[in-house]
Amino acid sequence: MRSKLPDAASSRKMAASSAVVAILASIWLCSSIAADASGSSSETTMHTNNWAVLVCTSRFWFNYRHMANTLSLYRTVKRLGIPDERIILMLADDMACNSRNKYPAQVFNNENHWLNLYGDNVEVDYRGYEVTVENFLRVLTGRHESAVPRSKRLLSDEGSHILLYMTGHGGDEFLKFQDSEELQSHDLADAVKQMKEKHRFKELLIMVDTCQAATLFNQLHSPGVLAIASSMKGENSYSHHLDSDVGVSVVDRFTFYTLAFFERLNMYDNASLSRLFNSYDPNLLMSNAYYRTDLYQRNLQEVPVTNFFGSVMETVHTDSAYRAFPQKNTPRETRIRTGNTAEDDSRRSILTDMTKAECPFTRIVSSLESKMETVGNLDSLVNYGLVMILPVLVVSVWLST
Amino acid sequence: MATANTEEEKSKSEQQKNHGGGGGFTRWAVLAVIFRLILIYFPGNLNLSSRPEVSTPLTSIRRLAEGYWLKQSSMSPYAGSMYHGSPLLLSVLGPLTVKRTILTYSVANAELKGSLVTFYADLISGILIRATGWKLQMTYRKSLKSLNLLNKSTDSGGLSSGDIAALVYLWNPFTIVACVGLSTSPVENLFTILTLYGAATGIAPLAAFGWVMATHLSLYPAILIIPVILLLGYGPDAPPSKLFRSKENGKVGDDTSSQDIIFSWGRVLHLLVWTSMWSVYVLVLCSISVKQHSSLQEMFQRTYGFILTVEDLSPNIGVLWYFFAEVFDFFRDFFLIVFHSNILFMILPLAIRLKHRPCFLAFVYIAISSMLKSYPSVGDPALYLGLLGLFLDELADMQFSFFLFCGYVGVSLLSPVMHNLWIWRGTGNANFYYATAMAYACFQIVLVVESVSSMLNHDRKLMKLSASKLQK
Repeated sequence: MRSKLPDAASSRKMAASSAVVAILASIWLCSSIAADASGSSSETTMHTNNWAVLVCTSRFWFNYRHMANTLSLYRTVKRLGIPDERIILMLADDMACNSRNKYPAQVFNNENHWLNLYGDNVEVDYRGYEVTVENFLRVLTGRHESAVPRSKRLLSDEGSHILLYMTGHGGDEFLKFQDSEELQSHDLADAVKQMKEKHRFKELLIMVDTCQAATLFNQLHSPGVLAIASSMKGENSYSHHLDSDVGVSVVDRFTFYTLAFFERLNMYDNASLSRLFNSYDPNLLMSNAYYRTDLYQRNLQEVPVTNFFGSVMETVHTDSAYRAFPQKNTPRETRIRTGNTAEDDSRRSILTDMTKAECPFTRIVSSLESKMETVGNLDSLVNYGLVMILPVLVVSVWLST
Repeated sequence: MATANTEEEKSKSEQQKNHGGGGGFTRWAVLAVIFRLILIYFPGNLNLSSRPEVSTPLTSIRRLAEGYWLKQSSMSPYAGSMYHGSPLLLSVLGPLTVKRTILTYSVANAELKGSLVTFYADLISGILIRATGWKLQMTYRKSLKSLNLLNKSTDSGGLSSGDIAALVYLWNPFTIVACVGLSTSPVENLFTILTLYGAATGIAPLAAFGWVMATHLSLYPAILIIPVILLLGYGPDAPPSKLFRSKENGKVGDDTSSQDIIFSWGRVLHLLVWTSMWSVYVLVLCSISVKQHSSLQEMFQRTYGFILTVEDLSPNIGVLWYFFAEVFDFFRDFFLIVFHSNILFMILPLAIRLKHRPCFLAFVYIAISSMLKSYPSVGDPALYLGLLGLFLDELADMQFSFFLFCGYVGVSLLSPVMHNLWIWRGTGNANFYYATAMAYACFQIVLVVESVSSMLNHDRKLMKLSASKLQK
């Protein structure tokens, strides 16, 4: 009798506490499932490719240096390994064949004229009046009309690292496009946010070389974005030197020192981003290079510059024929160098564990298949099979007569 | 017993007598071979391999070369919807399509090598038709003798029906065009004829192998399983069993053994066992062959599925392309079913009516399927016109034979002209070409109908003759 009441009370308490625990557990489970399902955060996807979007927003002859900036960076990015298919180059493209150009079809970024940037290998995707804010935002967000060819689209996916370089004339929270339009900082932030929602990049490096460039990043909120600008609010970005032969300034300071950093590198160097960012000397730049890392989770000292400016893939040579369509059960023969290879190995081992079958028939079939893999040349097996038909036929005919 | 032995000796001596006519046969056969070799060695195959009559999506050698190249480039041979044939054919004919020079003597003219394969296929087909014809004629004579209907007039003295059939097959311009124009239909025809030969001589594994390979290469010979079963069950073509039963009832106590035709299920079972074994073997070989870059399901989808769904509507001598070019998508499946079941519906009635003549039944099936198949080519009339020669004894009274002969000649001359007018000169349109295709289909229908009716008339004549003989 006495024991009943505390039993009832305790049982009720137990029921209540278990209900609370259950509710908490379900909430935690739901949130973890949601977190897993809510698109992969940048830690869990694999870095698969690099893209570069290089934009020169000025036209007219006296903005020669902006086109030279963009072309120099284009050349650097190509030299370090990103192919033309993954570079979107937007230029006004009216310098090289301008009637004022003393060196027709040649664009230099140094007065020693050592390097012709407008060589044989320049693929401009958007030229002349196609470089508009609308096209730029369409490129970033991927919302094109159906007739736009693939070479003009940014076909990045959730494993891409994108380098976005913009140069031209800018000001407080805006960037001037072709002397007629403006790209504002919230436009850029909106576009980046859309890109993040649509999983169009894993990491994004925005590099801007204009006056008061840092204000362009004020509205950015998306994670995984790294931004560096040539000058802060209230400062101008200056050109480096004037080429008296061509008659205009040929390169900007920020880009000049960026290029100076990269000229010493080749594809396989692993100089880090922090080294790049620390290489800018405010005295030489005559402005303060500002970089913003609050949206970027990784430590800059561990990130090699080739994660954005180049494209390095480690390949393993095999003798077997190139397989256009990868098989599910054959071991991978090419490996892509990523930041965390240990994770990939563990993921691969999980996959192979999952393909072990329980049923003996499938085990026999899979063992036959693995044996056939080792046979090497399946064609000769088929030929033997075809040749064997004839004696089997002869024997069977002889047996039945 | 003794009489049976003398009968065998008599038939053997008759065969040897026919060998005198066989001298004529060998002369004509050798001439056919030489003529083919001359045509094969002509440069450029006389541009026959690009004609729509010869190269359909199923039989074109260029598509086979493309499929072989795709396979060598480590891709599925069915990628891009070029090749729609068997992967085993790729392994056999594929290496022959590659141009290679051995030392300085470019013996490896690709087209030449391919032609030689079709040449040998035709040669073996001719030999097999001849052997089938001999077997059929022997059975015919035996059955007539048992009915006491055999008289000297039935002995033609010249070439036997098997020889004539083989010569028709070898000298048929359709066969020569298919051989020189490098289509794969001579290979398919070889397997069909092998099936009929194996079934007529009662060798079940051979018949099973031929049927499995013929079905594997092109889908339509699958319906030949019924004549093959009937051939193995009942034996080769014979007059209707009513005759033998009435004869038994009429004459009691006769010496000759009763030709009681019972259906031997043992041989049919033997055939089915061998069919399943060969089909498993072929499927295993195919799956090994397509394992790397493709799958068995894709193979079936691209070969049988392509044949059944008529995906390619390029013009050919058939009647389906024009029709399916204008049918609405909503009705497309319905009309596909209509066209294919047109073949299937004919199977049962013909089988019931002609079950005592399974070889002729096979001929009728082949003729019907070549009329209604999705991509007919010039190799199909090659096959059934050759087989028609096997039944010349029975079909001697066929009506409209001259009309049909002229019709075939006319269509085969007009159809390339209309094609040229339409495609190359632009002064005609598709209706011109399709009109010749429809005329060709009409002639085929007339051929089938007339041959079946004359065969049935022949059987009725035999019945009348034996009835009159019984009354005597």
